[in-house]
Amino acid sequence: MIFDPILDIFRGKAVTIPPLDGAFRPNTALDDAPVFAQMPAPDNLVFWQGRVVASSGANLMDPGGDVVQRFGADVTALAVSPTGDLAVGLADGSLSVGGAAVALPADVRCITALAYGPDGRLWLANGSASLPPGQWAADLMMKNASGSVWVQDGGWQKVAGGLAWPYGLLPDAAGVIVSEAWRHRLLRLGQGKPQPMLESLPGYPARLASAAGGGAWLALFAPRNRLIEFVLQETHYRLAMMAEVPPAFWIAPALASGRSFLEPLQCGGIRMLGVHKAWSPTRSYGLVVRLGADMTPLFSLHSRANGTRHGVTSVLEHQGQLHIAAKGGDCVLSAGHTAEAR
Amino acid sequence: MTLRERLQAWRYNLVPDHLIGEILTKRWTDNAIPFLALVVTVATFGTLIPGFFKPLSLQESTRQLGEFSLVVIGLTVVMLGGGIDLAVGSIFALSAFAAVSCFFIFELPVWVAFAASLAVGAAFGAINGYLIGYLRLRAFLTTLVTFIIGRAIYDILVVAFASRVQMSSATSPIWDFIGDGTALGISVPVWAAFGLAIVTHIALTRSRPGWHVLAVGGSRRSAYNAGIKVRRTVFLTYVFSGLTAATAGFLIATRLSGAGPGTGQGLEIAALTAAVVGGNSLGGGRGSVAKGLMGAIIVLVMTNGLIRLGYGTGTNQMVLGLLLAVAVTIDIRWLKNRHKVLNEVYVAPVYLAMGPTQSAEPGSGTPYALNNRLSVADAIGLGALEGPEDVILDADDHLYCGTRHGEIVRFFAPDYTRSEVFAHVGGFPLGLAFDASGNLISCVGAMGLYSISPDRQVTKLSAETARSLTSIVDDARLRDPNDLDIAPDGKIYFTDSTKRYDAHDWTLDSIENRATGRLLVFDPKDGSTKTLLDGYRYTNGVCMAHDNKSLFFAESWACRIHRYWLEGPKAGTAECVIRDMPGYPDNINRASDGTYWMAWLGMRTPSFDLSLRHPAMRKRMARRLPQDEWLFPNINTGGVVKFDEQGRIIQTMGDLGGASHAMVTSMREHKGQLFIGGIFNNRIGRFAIEGADPDWTGMRAYWGAKP
Repeated sequence: MIFDPILDIFRGKAVTIPPLDGAFRPNTALDDAPVFAQMPAPDNLVFWQGRVVASSGANLMDPGGDVVQRFGADVTALAVSPTGDLAVGLADGSLSVGGAAVALPADVRCITALAYGPDGRLWLANGSASLPPGQWAADLMMKNASGSVWVQDGGWQKVAGGLAWPYGLLPDAAGVIVSEAWRHRLLRLGQGKPQPMLESLPGYPARLASAAGGGAWLALFAPRNRLIEFVLQETHYRLAMMAEVPPAFWIAPALASGRSFLEPLQCGGIRMLGVHKAWSPTRSYGLVVRLGADMTPLFSLHSRANGTRHGVTSVLEHQGQLHIAAKGGDCVLSAGHTAEAR
Repeated sequence: MTLRERLQAWRYNLVPDHLIGEILTKRWTDNAIPFLALVVTVATFGTLIPGFFKPLSLQESTRQLGEFSLVVIGLTVVMLGGGIDLAVGSIFALSAFAAVSCFFIFELPVWVAFAASLAVGAAFGAINGYLIGYLRLRAFLTTLVTFIIGRAIYDILVVAFASRVQMSSATSPIWDFIGDGTALGISVPVWAAFGLAIVTHIALTRSRPGWHVLAVGGSRRSAYNAGIKVRRTVFLTYVFSGLTAATAGFLIATRLSGAGPGTGQGLEIAALTAAVVGGNSLGGGRGSVAKGLMGAIIVLVMTNGLIRLGYGTGTNQMVLGLLLAVAVTIDIRWLKNRHKVLNEVYVAPVYLAMGPTQSAEPGSGTPYALNNRLSVADAIGLGALEGPEDVILDADDHLYCGTRHGEIVRFFAPDYTRSEVFAHVGGFPLGLAFDASGNLISCVGAMGLYSISPDRQVTKLSAETARSLTSIVDDARLRDPNDLDIAPDGKIYFTDSTKRYDAHDWTLDSIENRATGRLLVFDPKDGSTKTLLDGYRYTNGVCMAHDNKSLFFAESWACRIHRYWLEGPKAGTAECVIRDMPGYPDNINRASDGTYWMAWLGMRTPSFDLSLRHPAMRKRMARRLPQDEWLFPNINTGGVVKFDEQGRIIQTMGDLGGASHAMVTSMREHKGQLFIGGIFNNRIGRFAIEGADPDWTGMRAYWGAKP
């Protein structure tokens, strides 16, 4: 309508987010999945020395809940080399491979993901140039886009910079596919300009894992929320919030929510007659997406607003079994055979 | 406080933004745009044209205006009935010719000439009406056809008889008076238009045929289903339009004493423009005579003004066309978007800096620290109850509560497993109290203060108070009566939480945070309701102090408890006894040990407290996000707090998991047990209080032992 541009000045544009539809149609697959291992905040899953291990805080834990290895700081990324060496990135910004420290460029202090390519090169995602991995919410609220992706090719080479929190890596023969969390998209990095592979995701993408039969698994660690997107546009409020409100109670995405009455609440999240509505707006959510070989979403596994298996940061498919680390749900799930997961 | 924040506070607390929304809720805002256009038009041409307001100039203009208005009134009625009449121009011309020929050629008396005019108008109107009303042809095409035919007949007649008219020497003082004279300084056409406007207005707004016209225009099918004779009504609107056009034609005949080829040329477009510019909807059903008149003045002033400024007919027609286009666009857009605009601008937040509060986190060591005590309460009516805001027990230990279905449900002692609907009131029964004779008095959300007698008779006690002087929306009506308590003399003290939102939208009041809550008193002796206090942020629970010399009331969104003095040196004044709590207080009730229970309906969150200092952000939030996404105070966690006469906090209980009593809006102590209600809950909770008097009941504390 011809008056819309004029009226928009007075009414402002509505804040919208992509709907959970098509391949993202909600289900309760994550809440229905059996628990594979119970541990506080499992983050990165890898298959190492014949078993699935997960990082949990500063520990590397096996499915039995036993500590396999303890590190000096929180583990923020894991990867297993073709020769079986474990690459470990820590919250203090250090990297070790097979127990030996690896020197990093001075700019790399926020290791969010590690991955070995088919050619054996180690890829590294540096989430932010200014903040450590634990302060990811602040990085989003400051609207930073200072992340970078590196590859070890003799020395470290910067493949791309100016990324908004790269959080997942999927190297292949042609380069690497990286998930860019704050821009809700997957990018292909390689020769030439970064090329968007999948855009307008309904959540913030975390780590990628290759899937048997081509394609990939993508973990989305938090949902997009219209109030949060609105707050991101509200400079004064946002800055005041960052200055005055403890980070746990920010209007920001979270790995888990509803744990304290000091957290923000949205109208739709009100418990009505004892029921917390599954479709209510929420700061945390559980979401795993299966992507086809061309990175188009095929189907997804959900834990909705009233569920608990939220904040999935990593997925691992091994011998037809799908393991899912719900960092906000304090458990690793086993979604059974991947064909059944669908 | 930074300068920016101070400016925001001034901007949002001193500028009454909320009035825009309130004005938009008024029906008369439909008139605002045409009225504005009218003022602008008159002012513009009044200043551009020297002598525009001179009496002589006005006299001639108003004569023309009277005739034109008559036509517009007729067309307005047709449009209100859902039709359109393009034939008014040719009817006007033909009836003018009828009058002229009767008077000059046949030299008949004036009244015969007038009757001939009316007959022509009625005949043409009837043809239109019959074709459109009874044969159900398209109004636009049908009247276009009658317009062309009428015009053709007129042109033939004028050529044939014009010379005979000019040769005639017939005169009449009446004819001259109608055409040229004035009564009380006002010309006959103006009197005629004035009289017809009043009659038509009264007929449309206050008579059965008028309502039928509006009903048919508003929704033909509904009107038919309601038993209205749709076809006849449509028929009559065209006859009416024909008659008014004929009257106007007669008047111009007397004024010009002749009829030329130009008479009534382009009148249909001018009249249509006037009716639409005035704000009458082309779709029918919406509009009024006053709007038609406003449009008539705008169009006439504009066309005459343009002519006097030296512009030709072409310019004039173009201006009319543009005017019509703009008016139709605004009409349609406004009709379609008015409720959207209202939705977007209604929420008008104010600035509030909440005071720093003590922590309520478990283990924080403050008196407010929440625990999980309420989670162990036994559930009463689980799954059967919806929204027991308040609970109360009678002398026989039966338990009563309201529900969101407008019912008062009674659970039978001693185990409270059986229940019945005690009474159906409607609305949303909130606060409850028993009076001395055992009547259950309830504040019913969206309705008012009601009394339910022991034999289930529901009586309205009060639904309004005095209107405040500066209100735009009538604030006499009780919008959200919330809680009450009864003094020993029978006076009922109760709160009306907000003037801005209806009872079911009470949570939205927290976003706006405007102080419109009231404390009122109802006197059963004379049935009067008086406003005691006004301007609190959501007045909520009310409780008489144990000594009955004062009462406590809660101010929810400000997290405060006030004491209002009924006697003593401070009688009639309120003082704040508890401020800056970490939770939002709801109902207050007496405890057996001489202290008081207070319910917390929710908890403050740092992010919401901060948003209260950013009213502009909340305003944009209300506009840009759907309501489900709005930031709310955390009303998923509540609690029960005990405080004493001095406002000291003694004990706090909560249900942190939120499984059974997420939100608490009321609690009532009875024989050593505490009964807990919640407006969004599906149960009433009950648990034994340690150290409470096992014999104490509210009934006895208020009204003594049963006789």
